[in-house]
Amino acid sequence: MPDLNIDFTVNGRKVARKVDPSRRLLDLLRDDLTLTGTKEGCGAGECGTCSVFVDGKLVKSCLMPAAKAQGADIETVEGLAAPGELTPVQRAFHKTGASQCGFCIPGMVMAATSALRENPNAGIEEIKERMGGNICRCTGYTKIFEAVEIARDVIAGKLPQTALNQDGAASSFIGHNTRRLDAPSKVSGRLKYAGDMDMQGMLHMQVLRSPHAHARIVKIDTSRAEALPGVHCVITSEDVPGTDGFGVFVHDQPIMARGKVRHVGEAVAAVAADTVRIAREATRLIEVEYEELPGLYDPEDALKEGAPVIHDYAADNVVKHIPVRKGDIEKGFAEADIILTDDFSTQQVEHAYLEPEAGIAYVDHDDVVTVISPSQNITHHRHMLSHIIDKPINKVRFIMSPVGGGFGGKEDMIYQGMLALAAMKTHRPIKLVFTREESFIASAKRHPSRTHYKMGLTRDGRITAIEFSMLSDGGAYGMSSEGVMRKAAILSCGPYEIHNLKVDTRVVYTNNTPSGAFRTFGGMQAQFATESMMDMAAEKLGLDPFEIRRRNMMKAGSLTHTQQKLNSASIGTVLEAAEKACRWESGAPTVRGETRGDLGGPDTRQPCTLGARFAEAATQIEKAKVAS
Amino acid sequence: MLTCDTYLMPTTLKDALQVWADAPEGSRLVAGATDILPWARDGRAGDVHLPCMVDITRVSELQGYEVQGDRVRLNANMVFQQFLEDETLIRLLPNMPYCAAWFADDQIRQQATLVGNIVNASPAGDGLPPVLTLNGEIELARLQDGAVVTRRLPVADFVTGPGRTELDAGEIATAVYVDAMEGYGGSFQKVGMRRSLVISAVCCAALVRTDASGKVFEDIRLSIGGIGPRPIRLHDIEEMLRGQEMTRELVAQASLKPAELVASRSRVEYRRAVTSGFVEAAIEDALVALGAPKPEPEQRETLNA
Repeated sequence: MPDLNIDFTVNGRKVARKVDPSRRLLDLLRDDLTLTGTKEGCGAGECGTCSVFVDGKLVKSCLMPAAKAQGADIETVEGLAAPGELTPVQRAFHKTGASQCGFCIPGMVMAATSALRENPNAGIEEIKERMGGNICRCTGYTKIFEAVEIARDVIAGKLPQTALNQDGAASSFIGHNTRRLDAPSKVSGRLKYAGDMDMQGMLHMQVLRSPHAHARIVKIDTSRAEALPGVHCVITSEDVPGTDGFGVFVHDQPIMARGKVRHVGEAVAAVAADTVRIAREATRLIEVEYEELPGLYDPEDALKEGAPVIHDYAADNVVKHIPVRKGDIEKGFAEADIILTDDFSTQQVEHAYLEPEAGIAYVDHDDVVTVISPSQNITHHRHMLSHIIDKPINKVRFIMSPVGGGFGGKEDMIYQGMLALAAMKTHRPIKLVFTREESFIASAKRHPSRTHYKMGLTRDGRITAIEFSMLSDGGAYGMSSEGVMRKAAILSCGPYEIHNLKVDTRVVYTNNTPSGAFRTFGGMQAQFATESMMDMAAEKLGLDPFEIRRRNMMKAGSLTHTQQKLNSASIGTVLEAAEKACRWESGAPTVRGETRGDLGGPDTRQPCTLGARFAEAATQIEKAKVAS
Repeated sequence: MLTCDTYLMPTTLKDALQVWADAPEGSRLVAGATDILPWARDGRAGDVHLPCMVDITRVSELQGYEVQGDRVRLNANMVFQQFLEDETLIRLLPNMPYCAAWFADDQIRQQATLVGNIVNASPAGDGLPPVLTLNGEIELARLQDGAVVTRRLPVADFVTGPGRTELDAGEIATAVYVDAMEGYGGSFQKVGMRRSLVISAVCCAALVRTDASGKVFEDIRLSIGGIGPRPIRLHDIEEMLRGQEMTRELVAQASLKPAELVASRSRVEYRRAVTSGFVEAAIEDALVALGAPKPEPEQRETLNA
C-alpha cells in the first residue's frame, strides 16, 4: 500500500512522517510520535479522551484520519505548558482533586482549555455544555467543574494566582483538601498507563473470541494464521504448560477456552504479530469448528431439573449458596402485625472504566515472566499464573501499572495469561490493548439479581422477621461470585437489628457474560431490596421513613445478621445528617405539603438543559443595546 | 478497524469528481469522516477494508456558503459548528443553531458536515428536520464528457429510506440550498439517552412567524425525525395552524396529530408519547425565540396530560 507523506506541526515543532493511510490522527500521535498523553478510551468519538486541537479547534483524534493532519497545526496535552510547568487549568485540576484514575483527565484538561479559550467568561452551565463530549467515570464531574471555574477566574484576574495553590496545611487530612501526589502526572498527560508503554522488539496481540454462548470446540486450525507474514505465534489452550484455571475463589476459567466456550466473547486463540493490523488479520485466518450446545440464559433455568451443565464440577450449576440464619423466623412472623412480601430485580451493569484493559508481558534476562497490567489483584494473579505456566513463584512477576479506573472490573486475570504465554513462546515483549467493544464483551459485569423478600413488622414499625432469598446470575465463570454472595448475605437486611432472619444468596452458572466484582460487591443489590422494603413498610404503617429506620437501626450492643456484637454503630448519625441535608419534610411518604421543599436547593443536581450559550449571547446583545 | 489502500484529498471539484469516478468499487467518499470510523468497528460493520477513501474537505469550491437572494447555498464542507457561530447564518437559518447545539458535541461539530449528515440519511439524523423546514434542495455533481454537471432535487425526495438516497454512482453531493428565513423564530427538540453525543430517539424542528399583533401564526413549518424510515415535514399540522390565532388549545390539539405517524420499528409507544409533547414544545420554543415569554414547565405538563 502506498504510504502517505504528512507534514504538520505538533506543539510548535515541524514534523514529517510517512504513514499508513489507514491511520488515525490518534495513532499518529500515540504510536509514531509517542505523545501518549492523548488517550484512547473508546475509539468511537464517545469519550473525549483523545481530544486535541487542530488549527485551534478541539477535535476527537480517534475520528480523524491522519491524512487530514497534512499542513495542520496540532496541539496536544503535552504542548499546553512547558516541561515541568502546568497551566492554570492543570493546576486547578490538581488543587480540587479533579483527577482520580486520571485516564479521562488529559482529554478533560483539553476540553476545559478549549471551553475557556472559546469563552473566557463562560458560566458554569456553558462550561458543562462545552465539556459534554468528554466522559469521566470516577468523579461525578463536580471536582472537574469546580477546577474549571477556579481556572477561569484566575485567568480572568478575578482570583489571585494563589487560588491555585494547595489550601493551607492542616493538622489532619480528614476534612481537608489534600492534593493527590500523582495528579501533576495525570493533568499533564505524562503518566504512562499500560497501553502507553512501549518496549523494544515489542509484538502486538489480538484475540479471537467466541461467537457462541455455549459450544464444544471440535477443532482449531491455526496454520493459515501462523503462515501470515509478520505473525510470530498463535496460542490456544493447548500451549498452557501447567495447570490451567484462574478465578478469585474457584479456579474454573482457562486462560483461553479449553474444550468448549461458555459465553460470547470468550477468548479462543490469540495471535502475536509485528503490528495490530497483521495480528487482527491473522485472527480472521484461524479456523474454529464449533458444535453448538444448548445454553442457559436465565438463572432460574440453571436450577431446573435436566438443565444443561456449564461446568462438569458443578452438576447443579450452583457456584455458591450462602445461608445466614438467626433467631426463629416462624416465631418472628407470628409476632408480626403485618407481613409484606415483594420481589426485586437488578440488571447487569458494565464498569465502563475509561481505560480499556491493556498489558505488556516479557520474559526477562533471568527468565522471569513479567506481566505489566492495571490488575487490581496482582499478588493473587502472580500465584495463579505460576501454576498455569508451571514456573516457581520467583520466576513470575506482576507489575501493577496505573489503573485507569477499575471499580472491581480489573480483578479478574482475563488476559494476562495469554500475554505471558505468548511472551514465553516468542521471547519478545507482547502488548495487548482491548478495544472498548472487547472490554464490554469480555470483562465481568455487576451480578444481575432477583430477590424475594418477606418482612414482618409490628404496627409501630419494628421488624420482627425477614426472609430474604436472592438468586444471582454468575454468568459463565465463577470469578468473584462467591465473595459477592457472601457480602450480599452479610449486608442483606441492612443496618437494622433483625432478631429473626433467614437469608439465602445463591449464584449460578449461565452462558451469559461472567459476573464479577463491582463497587459494593453485592451490597447494592441487597440494599436496593431492603431499603425499598423499608420505604414501603413506612407507607403501609403511616410512619416517617426516617423514623421507621431509627426504630430498627443497629446500636452499640446490637447483634449483626451474622451475630457479631457491635461496640458502636453510626447509622443514627448518618440518618440525622441525611435527613438534614435533603431538607426532609417529616411524615409518612403518603403525606406531602403544597411545595416540595426538598427540590432545587443547594447540593441538588439540576436538570439537564441546553442552550446556555444562547442565553449568554442574548444577554450580551441586550447589554450592547443598552450601552448604545 | 478501518483500513484503506489509498487516501486521496483532491483540492478542486473537477479533480474530486475525477478521482471519485475512477475510484475502485467499494471506495468511500468522506468529508468530516466522523461516522465512518465508529461504523467500522465490532458490533457494527466490524473490520472494513476500503480500496480508496476520497476526502473532499480540501476541495476549494465546497467551502463556506453564499447568500443568493432568498436562498442560501451551503457548501458540502460546512460543519455544524458554523451554524452556532456565524452571525449571518444564525439570522437567516433560525432553527439551525438549536439543531447544532444538540448535535453530537463540541468536538465532533468541528468536523461533521451538514451535507454529510443528509447523505447518511439516518432516520434520526439531526440535520434533516431543520433542512426540511428550510425547503432544502441538494445539489449533486458529476462529470460528463470532462465537464462538471449538476442536478438538484428536494432533500425530501433525495432521502428515500434509512441510509438510502437518490445519489448515483460517481456523484458527489456538493451543496444544499435552503430558504433564508429572517424574522422567523426557530427551534429544535431532541430526546435521547443523554445531552451530548446521543442519537435522537425523536427530533423535531420548527420555524414560526407571527403577524404584527403577535397573536396569529402567519407562517409555520414543522418537521420531525426518528419516527419512521425518514424524517418528514408535517404539512397537515402546518395547514391547521397557518393563519390561525395562536392559542394553547389549538397548539395542543395540533400536536396530537404526529403520534399517528409513528412508524418506527422499535419503542413505538414511547415515540408516540414523546412526539406530541415535542411538536408543542417546538412551537413554543420557536415563539420564545421571537420574544414570547417562556411557558412554565407546569403549564406544559398540564397540557401534555
